[in-house]
Amino acid sequence: MQEYFLLFISAIFVNNIVLAQYLGNCPFIGTSKDTGVAVGMGSAVVFVMFMATGLTWLVQYKLLVPMGIGYLQTLAFILVIAALVQFVEMFLKKMVPPLYKSLGIFLPLITTNCAVMGVALIVQREEFGLVKSVMFALASGLGFMLALVLLAGIRERLAVRRLPVAMRGTPIGLVMAGLMSLAFFAFKGMI
Amino acid sequence: MSRLWKEFSKGLWTELPPFRLVLGLCPTLAVTKTADNGLGMGLAVVFVLALSNLMISLLRKIIPAKVRIACFIVVAASLVVAVELLMQAYAYPLYQQLGIFVPLIVVNCIILGRAEAFASKNGPLLSMADGAGMGLGFTMSLTFLGGLRELLGSGAIFGVHVAWEGFQPLGLMVEAPGAFISLGVLLALMVFVQNLQRKRRGLALVEAPGHDCKSCGCCGKADNA
Amino acid sequence: MKEILNMMIVLALICGISGVTLAVLKQTTAPIIEEQELTYVQAPAIDQVLETHDNNPIKDRKRFDVDGRSVMVFPAMSGGRVTGVAFETSGKGYGGNIGVMVGFDLKSDTLTGIGITTLKETPGLGMRVTEHGYTTQFKGHPIEAVALTRNGGDIQAVAGATISSTGTVFAVQQAIAIYKTLKTQLAGGWS
Repeated sequence: MQEYFLLFISAIFVNNIVLAQYLGNCPFIGTSKDTGVAVGMGSAVVFVMFMATGLTWLVQYKLLVPMGIGYLQTLAFILVIAALVQFVEMFLKKMVPPLYKSLGIFLPLITTNCAVMGVALIVQREEFGLVKSVMFALASGLGFMLALVLLAGIRERLAVRRLPVAMRGTPIGLVMAGLMSLAFFAFKGMI
Repeated sequence: MSRLWKEFSKGLWTELPPFRLVLGLCPTLAVTKTADNGLGMGLAVVFVLALSNLMISLLRKIIPAKVRIACFIVVAASLVVAVELLMQAYAYPLYQQLGIFVPLIVVNCIILGRAEAFASKNGPLLSMADGAGMGLGFTMSLTFLGGLRELLGSGAIFGVHVAWEGFQPLGLMVEAPGAFISLGVLLALMVFVQNLQRKRRGLALVEAPGHDCKSCGCCGKADNA
Repeated sequence: MKEILNMMIVLALICGISGVTLAVLKQTTAPIIEEQELTYVQAPAIDQVLETHDNNPIKDRKRFDVDGRSVMVFPAMSGGRVTGVAFETSGKGYGGNIGVMVGFDLKSDTLTGIGITTLKETPGLGMRVTEHGYTTQFKGHPIEAVALTRNGGDIQAVAGATISSTGTVFAVQQAIAIYKTLKTQLAGGWS
């Protein structure tokens, strides 16, 4: 139990996927102008990351390793993730229209979100078991959502402030992300 | 010839990734702890980008529109696997340094973005020039950012110590916060210089480019929705 | 119908061609990659655990079959005679397997040292088994009775990293078992 608790804390705060591991930065900067959008994107990532990590884990240990083609990992993982995203999109559209309405537009963005693929690769490199892998994915997704929503909150307030023209938009977003990363840096001493 | 040069050189300045075309931020932030790593990562991207553009351009007439993204992904991913193997065989220390960011080249928006925006519409030679130019521009940016962070963070450049005696390295620069802040400040500086020139010519001021999702194949759909 | 067929053929063709190309590339690079891995991952540990030698242990490596297990053995030679051997075994750590390179002196049947090759542990805790104070306890230790103090041996576990310490000792015990069988095979000389 304690092990999973530590894993959660570590993945959300200490080794936050965006602010400490440098993953998923494009959507982090791209979709953090509005808190509502950030929550939508965040939940879509949590959901897909959780499923993708479980699925790629199974592909790795039930398919690639027994067949001795571990070197095709990258190719197999990206195809699994792309197919999964397509499938989830179709499923939500048919079965849960309200959820599709709120998450649907973010789903296609997720195939090229390197945080999803990154987490799938990290759990392989760390040689986690299946349960530990999906728990780690869940925690990482939540960490991504936390960082995204926090940054969106900051940028919403910045939008109504007068800034030098050159700093507006992406540059100030990156500097703010840096300051947040600095704040999260303080968690390093915790574990 | 001039068209070829135009497509090649645009990636080096007017559409320089990741400053003018805000794409591929993850590797930009992650591997630029040192100039060496930035250069290595950049060259891997040049290899994948030039070849994927070439192949997609050659295949553009037979790839059905509906499955084009899947085809692009297969081509790009195969090239990335090839880079992984070659890097392990001939540059193992670099492979260890870059870690998961080597396989992650496949989800770098630049690759799919150029495939969709350029290679699927142009001939093989032009596409390769576009890929090589964009890739080299990306390499330049990464090497420069890596050099800057290495210099401020450890007083060295390409691993060679250059700082004067008594230089206090700013350890923060080689960690994550330094990556975000230095990229943000550099981006602002580029816009500032651009605006100075525009002001002199009497043009309106511009803001920094946003994260350009439209040039990425998979994301394009989301923007229309 | 014709369109779908066309789609499937093109996709299958692209997948097939890249699969074959990559398989060929894998075949050609496999020996080079093995050499590189040995040089950058194992070599530092080998140098650490073998006593003075005048050969290149990686170049002179040889596979042995010990009790049905295939073991890669790295020899230390002086003047053409094998004086010591090193090989890798693994034990279970907190977050995955711990790879341990164990060196033996053939003449006195003692350990010449151990070196950690792969380790995925909680940073700060389990990591300490790589520290000098812990690993030096094995240097010059006779191959009998290698065990932690609480199991009646004389190896001090690293405080707060019991699992990693136990895993390392387990790996060393494994290596000793292999060494005992291996020694009879080595009596006939190296090549």
